[in-house]
Amino acid sequence: MTSYSFIKPRKKHLFSAFSKIWIAFIAFITFLLIAFGVFLLVKIAIYKKDTIKINNERAMLDKKINEKDDFMEYLLRQKSLGEEIFSSNTLLKDSMKNLFDLVPDQITLSRVIIKKDSLIIYGKTPTKDSFNFLLSAPLKSIFSTSNTMFYLTSEGWYNFVSTNKITTMDSFSE
Amino acid sequence: MNNTDRSLEKINIIKLLIFLSIFIAITLVLILALILPNVKQYRVYRSQYNNAVVHKVRVQNVLDGRIKELKNLNIKNKKVFDSFKHEFRKDEFISFANKFFNKVSLKEVKKSIYKKEFRVYELNVTSTLKTPINFYKFLDGLNHYQNIIQADFPIDLKSNGKTINSTFKIKVFGLLVLKK
Repeated sequence: MTSYSFIKPRKKHLFSAFSKIWIAFIAFITFLLIAFGVFLLVKIAIYKKDTIKINNERAMLDKKINEKDDFMEYLLRQKSLGEEIFSSNTLLKDSMKNLFDLVPDQITLSRVIIKKDSLIIYGKTPTKDSFNFLLSAPLKSIFSTSNTMFYLTSEGWYNFVSTNKITTMDSFSE
Repeated sequence: MNNTDRSLEKINIIKLLIFLSIFIAITLVLILALILPNVKQYRVYRSQYNNAVVHKVRVQNVLDGRIKELKNLNIKNKKVFDSFKHEFRKDEFISFANKFFNKVSLKEVKKSIYKKEFRVYELNVTSTLKTPINFYKFLDGLNHYQNIIQADFPIDLKSNGKTINSTFKIKVFGLLVLKK
């Protein structure tokens, strides 16, 4: 083969070294940015999933709080009723104690009927005045209405029936 | 590197500018098309996630508080809650009442429901006692009994010479539905 050149033919490359470096650089930055983009997408997906999971857990906790609140109200209603009953028993005891403390030694009671809004006392008194001064006066200060009937006995004493009424229950505590 | 390639030694400014432009253009396009919208979304979802975590922690703290309150309530009022749960037995009550009275007898009057969640047994108690003091002691004792019992009207105390005959009503409160 006849050669028309003084030098040997050189192999020609499609891209020069300069171009290759730039192409590699551009490819690298492209890859880097795409990788970062994908990383963001993955993180977004993870955040979405975790947010849903946490919201569900929170909803469960909310439900539990409501259940605990309901249960606490249920217990508080029991506590309140229990305390109401305990204080009612104590009040009744104090009322009865006060009532019997009111009765002077001269007067003997034979029957006491305590109702929600009334007190009926049966007993015996030496004189009407003893009853009126020693027992009737305090009873009248407690009850709204107070009526007493006396019956003379053969021994000269008086049997009495005292009917006392109150308009509110708490008057008994006095 | 081929020794004959002198592209790095003699840099063509035009070529350099073209590559630089391409580089900047691709970088800008990728940032604008891929990174920026995703960064915005990322921030939104991260903020939603952080809010959800904070909210959950608050709710968890509230729940922990409720559990603690419930525990304290249970500890402080154990006696009352146990008393509501305890099944009422006539023989147990008679044996308790016998500490204060003689000849105790019970008669069931009626069963009813109070405030939708409590069942109430009403019973008439007849007994004899020596002094009214025993009645006071009985009323005191009721508050420490294993059931929740209210002494109720009418109360009839009738003297019978040496003893007093008493007739009164009690209301025994129990739970209609046992919740846990």
